Amino acid sequence: MNFKSLLNKSNLIKSIFVGSLFVLIFISTITYKNSVSITESTQLLIHTQKVRVELEQLNSSLKNVEINQTSYFISRDSIFLKDFNDSRLKVSESINLLQSLTHDNLKQQNNLDSLVKLIRLRYNILLENAINLDDSIQVNAKRFNKSLLEGKEIMKIIRNHINKMIDLEGVYLQEQQQHYEKETYFTPLYSLVMLMFSLIVFIISYYKINKDLEALKQANLILKISTETMNHAEDIGAFSSWQWDLENNNLVYSENHHKLLGIPTQEYNAKTNQFLDFVHPDDRHIIISGQNRVIEHNQSTVAFFRVIRQDGNLRYFKSTGKFLTASSGNRILIGINMDVTEEYLVSKSLEDRNSELEKSNKELASFNHVASHDLQEPLRKIQTFISRIFEKEATNLSSHGKDYLERIQVSAKRMRILIDDLLLFSRTNKVEKVYERTDLNILLDMAVLELTEQIEDAKAQIHRTILPTLVVIPFQIQQLFINLISNSIKYSRKDISPIISFACKKINSSDYNELIKEKNAQYYKLSISDNGLGFKDEYKDAIFTLFYRLHNNSDYPGTGIGLAICKKIIENHKGFITAESTFGEGSTFHIFLPINLNKR
Amino acid sequence: MQSEIIRVMLADDDEDDRLFFREAFEEIKIKTSVTTLNNGIELMDYLNKPNIVLPHILFLDLNMPGKTGLDCLREIKANDTFKDIAIAIYSTSSSDEDIEETFVQGANIYIKKPHDFVMLKSTLSEVITLNWQYHTNGLNRDNFLLSI
Repeated sequence: MNFKSLLNKSNLIKSIFVGSLFVLIFISTITYKNSVSITESTQLLIHTQKVRVELEQLNSSLKNVEINQTSYFISRDSIFLKDFNDSRLKVSESINLLQSLTHDNLKQQNNLDSLVKLIRLRYNILLENAINLDDSIQVNAKRFNKSLLEGKEIMKIIRNHINKMIDLEGVYLQEQQQHYEKETYFTPLYSLVMLMFSLIVFIISYYKINKDLEALKQANLILKISTETMNHAEDIGAFSSWQWDLENNNLVYSENHHKLLGIPTQEYNAKTNQFLDFVHPDDRHIIISGQNRVIEHNQSTVAFFRVIRQDGNLRYFKSTGKFLTASSGNRILIGINMDVTEEYLVSKSLEDRNSELEKSNKELASFNHVASHDLQEPLRKIQTFISRIFEKEATNLSSHGKDYLERIQVSAKRMRILIDDLLLFSRTNKVEKVYERTDLNILLDMAVLELTEQIEDAKAQIHRTILPTLVVIPFQIQQLFINLISNSIKYSRKDISPIISFACKKINSSDYNELIKEKNAQYYKLSISDNGLGFKDEYKDAIFTLFYRLHNNSDYPGTGIGLAICKKIIENHKGFITAESTFGEGSTFHIFLPINLNKR
Repeated sequence: MQSEIIRVMLADDDEDDRLFFREAFEEIKIKTSVTTLNNGIELMDYLNKPNIVLPHILFLDLNMPGKTGLDCLREIKANDTFKDIAIAIYSTSSSDEDIEETFVQGANIYIKKPHDFVMLKSTLSEVITLNWQYHTNGLNRDNFLLSI
């Protein structure tokens, strides 16, 4: 879980929230509009009802007027007269009320006006009769009947007119109802859809938030673990980390910092300069110049310096830094201080030993020079003088003198061979090792060529096999072949001409105990066997030791260096040489050479 | 070359070697005039004198006090007056470094001092009868070291 994806998630949550807000506002608006139109419809309904009731009231009041008048005519009781006047009053009240109820409706106003005209007409007829009412004269029955009929007709017209107005109100009501229905038809659907939608959005957001919370928890856990791991690593690895906010010059150290300085955590106030107090006075300039370089040139370098701990211990520190830009935009230098005392001491002792080695190498080189030049020079002169005496003064010598001189000559010769072999041995180690991919068959050819004389003299037979091509130091391998072949010839049995056989095969190191620990997995095993004197099994390791000899010098002259050189050569090739023998029957030398030479 | 006396010169700080050298030439049946000098400084002083007869072949020991054989070789090769002198390195050492260095500096042949007087004689007579023209043209690292 990285922080970027978390950041994207919080953006997602923000957009979900804003979307939901809009949906809610939309739903609220629609609901408000609906309730407003419901109120309007209800009011209209009440209004219509009122108008109808009032119209019916008007109608009945009118009827009352007529009935009371008629009743008065018949009974002449004044009580009907009073009712007549009351009814008339009610009629005008109803008209007033209707006028105020329909004041915003032009059509109904017009209707009402014509209704009022009709009522007035009716009154006129009634009032015509009413003249006669007070006079108490005989009513002209014919005329009265006529007015009654006229009144009846007008009442019928008024009735129709009122019905028309009531119907009109009904139409209005219906229109409103239709409009209302139309308007509210989709409203529940909208609301439902919107509700569902916001419900889904909320569920998704809840799920998301929950998931993010889980991820955050997980990230927190990982962070905690890695912090612990870091602390552990700092403790074990003897290093501490620090963060230096360059903007506000705030320096924060990790806990291990105090341990490295050997002080309890609470005693330390992490300021730049307090750390400086622990730095060795001679090394403080390193820290200061390093800090200046960071501030002035934005360059961070690796610093090595000494620290004096609170307990007085001198420690060697290494400090490295790296620039980082925080999310706040501040440039921060993060780094670690490492206690490298152990490494420093180890590398210092290594350095010391190295220089010692270098010195002894130089001494060895000068020894080589001594051996090659200074020792050889007097020896050469001894030999030359001996040869001079033999040449010029031989006649003046007694036979004893001649014998002694011959012995001196043999010793001098032996010394020369020793010096030459010793030189060869030390050069095997010293000379620059040039590894080349070389066909070993060619090297064996050259070795045989060099030994032609010896081979022919001893009537030796060499049974060869096909050898591989390997990365080797060519002249050393050639020397190895020369040494081994000449060894076999030298230590052959009397009267049996030497037979030297070569064999070669590829082997795995795991199959041989002596190779099992080696890095190289595959080797060539070269075996060189002869039918010579052989040696006892107990000597199979000793024969490779420098100057070690199995035979008297008088019987088999030698220096005991040849096989030591062989061993050294094989070591130069990261290989192994072993020997086995049946005493009196012959010996075999096994050479193991790695197929892929790791020079190191 | 046979009609003329071959002028041979040796610079060697070892008295015995100078003795062997002179005795060897006495016994070789070739007309030679041998001059020996005791070290490198003497050699260069002698060569730089005016109006002297230069040697045909100069034998140069390497290990000498003051001026080593290599110093002398460099000086001689840097001076055009001595361009006709054939230079034979004559040393006890046969180390690869010495052979390489003297070859690079322009010596004509490298002789390892023999440890037998008979061998010495044959070596020296081989060297002075060499066809230098032929030898120098075909000179390489392999035939630079004289082997008898």
